[in-house]
Amino acid sequence: MSDLPNPAVPPGTRALLHAYAVALFLYPPRFRSQHAAQMRIALRDALADPDLARPRLLTTLLHDLSYSVFQENLTMLKESLSRPILLFNALMLAALSTVLALAFYSIPQQVLRQDANDPQLELAGNAALSLAAGNPVHRVIATPAEERVNVAESLSPFLIAYDEQGHVLASSAQLGGQLPAPPPGVFAYARTHGEERVTWQPRNGVRLATVIRHVAGPQGGFVLAGRNMREVEAREAQMGQMARALWLAMLGIVAAGTFLFAWIRSQPSVAHP
Amino acid sequence: MTISAPLSAPVFAILLSLAAGERHGYAMMKDARQPEGGGVSMGPGTLYGTLNRLMEEGLVIESGYSDDQRRRYYRLTETGGVALGAELERMRAALEAATRLGLLPEGEPA
Repeated sequence: MSDLPNPAVPPGTRALLHAYAVALFLYPPRFRSQHAAQMRIALRDALADPDLARPRLLTTLLHDLSYSVFQENLTMLKESLSRPILLFNALMLAALSTVLALAFYSIPQQVLRQDANDPQLELAGNAALSLAAGNPVHRVIATPAEERVNVAESLSPFLIAYDEQGHVLASSAQLGGQLPAPPPGVFAYARTHGEERVTWQPRNGVRLATVIRHVAGPQGGFVLAGRNMREVEAREAQMGQMARALWLAMLGIVAAGTFLFAWIRSQPSVAHP
Repeated sequence: MTISAPLSAPVFAILLSLAAGERHGYAMMKDARQPEGGGVSMGPGTLYGTLNRLMEEGLVIESGYSDDQRRRYYRLTETGGVALGAELERMRAALEAATRLGLLPEGEPA
């Protein structure tokens, strides 16, 4: 337990002290400004200690640098990040990123979904007008049974005509050789409001974008126009993946920016090693 | 960071070194290196990082003395002494338990 003398510094020692002074820049500026001078003095004392073998000192020094540089930078970062304003800003930016990513997904998804109804709107509207004009149902939907669209496989739009009680009058669609039963309640709604638009799942894995129009006039009844949504949903899934990637990228930028800002703010106004 | 028992090896070694009186940086490193001082090979980064935290916790303070080599000296506070005493008490209890279990020869802890 001793104070050591300060002998004349040989060139090797001077080089090591110089290298150490440069390595001290790896520490956070505040830590450096507080302790760098004393750390250099401590190393100078260690190098002058005849009881301490140089290889052992160098090993200790390398281990010490790698461990304590990491430790002190981590401590500095924790202190900076724990500032309420910085945390609040980061959370607000993360929330904004989440809203933007959700909008990036949900707005095009809604547009895609609405666009998926366009052919059916035209088909159902024309068929309803034709039936209301008194044209026979088998002329409006003139598809032979063997040429009916398999709604599970085909992307082609189809038409089904029903009477006022909901019984099938004619169809250009089939599902496993059967006429698919429409979802309950759609006729009552279409009777009241003139039209109903629903996503119909007649069986697992088969989802249809459908438009149901009430037919006015003495003949009465309903026309259902539909189309398999497989392609539309594939595009929606793609949009979802892109939105997720965008969200993660934005969160990454927010995190990196917050760390960078914390690091910049941790710089003291005067810092000398 | 809160200094709490059990103390880390560098914290213990520094407190033990300062228990003997005021010390500058390298004197603490040298004390710590001795088997009776904790046997801890500490570099300047670990020493001053640990001192920083010990000073924040009020266990150590700068004594205000600086020698002609511009070395700063540090000393233990009363709180630091209590923390060191608690750690030594914890160690003594562990040694007594080890002795009772026959892991150490009788009378070794004393």
